[in-house]
Amino acid sequence: MTLKQLGKLEKLRAMLGYPGAVLGGIGLLTSGALALADRATLEDIKAAQDLDMQQSLTQVLPGKYENDLLKDTVVLPGPDGELTVYRARQGGKVVAVVFKVQARGYAGPIVSMMGVDRDGKMLGVRVIKHTETPGLGDKIEPAKGEWIHSFEGKFLGDPPAEKFAVKKDGGVFDQFAGATITPRAVVKSVKGGLAFFAKEKTRLLEDGVQP
Amino acid sequence: MISLNHAPHAHAPMTVGQVMVTVMLALTPATLYGFWLYGWPAIFLWAVAMGTALLAEAVSVWLQGRAAKPALLDGSAALTAWLLAVSLPPFAPWWVAAIGSVFAIVIAKQVFGGLGQNVFNPAMAARVMLLISFPVEMTMWAAPMPITAAQAPGFMQGLAITFGGAQWDGMASASLLGHVKTEFTRGVDLATSLPAHFAAVHGGMMDAAWGSRAGSLGETAGLLLLAGGIFLIVRKVITWHAPVAMLLGVAAPALIANAIDPTHYLGVMPHLLSGGLMLAAFFIVTDPVTSPNTPAGMFVFGLLCGLLTWIIRSWGGYPEGVAFAVMIMNSLAPIIDRYVKPRIYGRDRKGQSLQIEAKGSAK
Amino acid sequence: MSNEYTRITKDGLWDNNIVFAQILGMCPTMAVTGSATNGLGMGLATTAVMVASNALVSMVRNVVTPDVRIPVYIVLIATLVTLVDVSINAWAHDLYKVLGLYIALIVANCAVLGRAEAYAQKVGMLPAAADGLMMGLGFTFALTLIGGIREVIGSGTLFSNAHLLLGPAFAFLETTVITDYKGYLLMILPPGGFLVLGFLLAGKRILDKRLAERRVAPAAMPEPVAG
Repeated sequence: MTLKQLGKLEKLRAMLGYPGAVLGGIGLLTSGALALADRATLEDIKAAQDLDMQQSLTQVLPGKYENDLLKDTVVLPGPDGELTVYRARQGGKVVAVVFKVQARGYAGPIVSMMGVDRDGKMLGVRVIKHTETPGLGDKIEPAKGEWIHSFEGKFLGDPPAEKFAVKKDGGVFDQFAGATITPRAVVKSVKGGLAFFAKEKTRLLEDGVQP
Repeated sequence: MISLNHAPHAHAPMTVGQVMVTVMLALTPATLYGFWLYGWPAIFLWAVAMGTALLAEAVSVWLQGRAAKPALLDGSAALTAWLLAVSLPPFAPWWVAAIGSVFAIVIAKQVFGGLGQNVFNPAMAARVMLLISFPVEMTMWAAPMPITAAQAPGFMQGLAITFGGAQWDGMASASLLGHVKTEFTRGVDLATSLPAHFAAVHGGMMDAAWGSRAGSLGETAGLLLLAGGIFLIVRKVITWHAPVAMLLGVAAPALIANAIDPTHYLGVMPHLLSGGLMLAAFFIVTDPVTSPNTPAGMFVFGLLCGLLTWIIRSWGGYPEGVAFAVMIMNSLAPIIDRYVKPRIYGRDRKGQSLQIEAKGSAK
Repeated sequence: MSNEYTRITKDGLWDNNIVFAQILGMCPTMAVTGSATNGLGMGLATTAVMVASNALVSMVRNVVTPDVRIPVYIVLIATLVTLVDVSINAWAHDLYKVLGLYIALIVANCAVLGRAEAYAQKVGMLPAAADGLMMGLGFTFALTLIGGIREVIGSGTLFSNAHLLLGPAFAFLETTVITDYKGYLLMILPPGGFLVLGFLLAGKRILDKRLAERRVAPAAMPEPVAG
């Protein structure tokens, strides 16, 4: 910066509106930068999130299906407000549905994704969000224990509704040593999910027009 | 070494060591009863806690460049370990006691500056730490099996339980507070869960008073702990303020809540005789280091300890709240001291100099 | 001139370390150091923000007047953090799932504003950026160390999930230190962070004291100072 420029700057700085103008100018510049960054990353973030969703969908849908689940959805009134149900098709026919269920665990809501086939039989359950105690309640994660697989193949009737509970409550599902509330919450949310499936079965399995 | 101290001098009737020994003496009946009730594993657990605590104390003091022997002989480390040991489940593995003792001595006591400097009661700090870190081991209660009984573990089996992690029949017993809390979470109210618990685990309330029930090593014998506490009050080691206030702090809300809704709130007697309340009231909240200085302050301190205990037991996530309540109140003790100040020697309660009559009005 | 950079390096890494000497940025220090990998990731993200924020602050230092400097610096830092946040979300999504919650916390890391205020606004862009880099690396070192200790004691592993942060090539870092470990929950919960930090602070003081003693009496200790 030359001396002359500095002198000019000094004169500017003395003006009343100068600080406000600087703040405003920098605010404009940064907003511009943020807008650009948002544009640049929007698609990649969407793709990454879709991939995430796709992965959790495939985990609870072991079988084969031919459509893009993320595009084939129905929205129905579920146990906790509106529920987006993803549908898997084979030969245009809905063979399984996937949806989210949740229940209050020990330290906050536990959100799970569950897959159910046409007959109401469970294909799989994955906990996708929870804040349970590490080392105790987190055995609901497949990485930390086999427990979450105990739902596979179960349906309402096997076990019967009153046995659809943790062992401590007279049911068939194991609880964890030192943690009953967490598995109890997951079992409850899954049971609610199966009830939801039974209630909305006809609408869920409507083949309709494949989008 | 000659130490010169300024006046005023106060005479202390006992040395620190004598106080500690007296407190241990008061704890002995309840502890021996616990040994009898839960057998060899309890004895081993107690020994591990004591041994580790003394070792930890010696090493900490040595690291500070002080002589270890006087610190060990004042008995404070032994008492801390003792209080911790009696608050543990009797069949807990040895490392629970060892980690707890090291934590109590090194982190809760020596890191803060050693004897007389700690903010939190070391035994309770260690118990809370263990409960948070090892919830499975810390809630494995054993049904009482007197050491002479046939189904009780023998010496070698006791070693296997404490040091080898062996399981034992009757280890899955629930404590009363734990049982009630679990049943609540699945929607079973007290009218159903309480009789079921008594039928399954022990005869009735009188058995609980004597201590023949599932619980911590030395916390179940309510009456023996009460006797030890009265002994301490008679020997003027503690005053009645904090213990009475703490029991009152639990009993009063329990009485009111139980009268309003007996299916959701336990009555007075189960509250008083359950968990660590008796032990805490006479041996923990009376700790001179971590409690306020004045009798009035002690009363407030005890009352709030009791109230918090009742609140945590009734609405908290954990079935037992004594240790948490004591730790919260430990941190509030300086604030209580700020508002309930002791009178400074030569001054009145407001801190003004006392008028000295003989010299007339000094201008 | 090179002396200046030596001092910046020593200050940032050790003498004036953000965590171990300034005790700043305690929120991320406690919140994300449950494992060494998380500490490393947070440290590196903070370093990136600090280099850029110091450089930017130094760049605008002659334009900004003292009365509006704090809002200007905050706006700059918040923008940078948001840029880092969306970039990681878009291009390192697996890492974002681990660290995402904490990236926004960098805005609240007073160390970033602290360096802008205490150093960057007084010097040229190059030393300012160098200071940001060294302070950030010192912060990374501290977070990784605390995270490593907590992870080993708390879960018996070290650098677990390192491949999410550094790519599959670094999977070799992932070690199980103690097999069949039941875990020590306290160390993973926030109190563990406070405990480990406390002991490390005490350790640094002892070490510094020893080093100072050696420097005072070099005759008594002729061998070179190891540090």
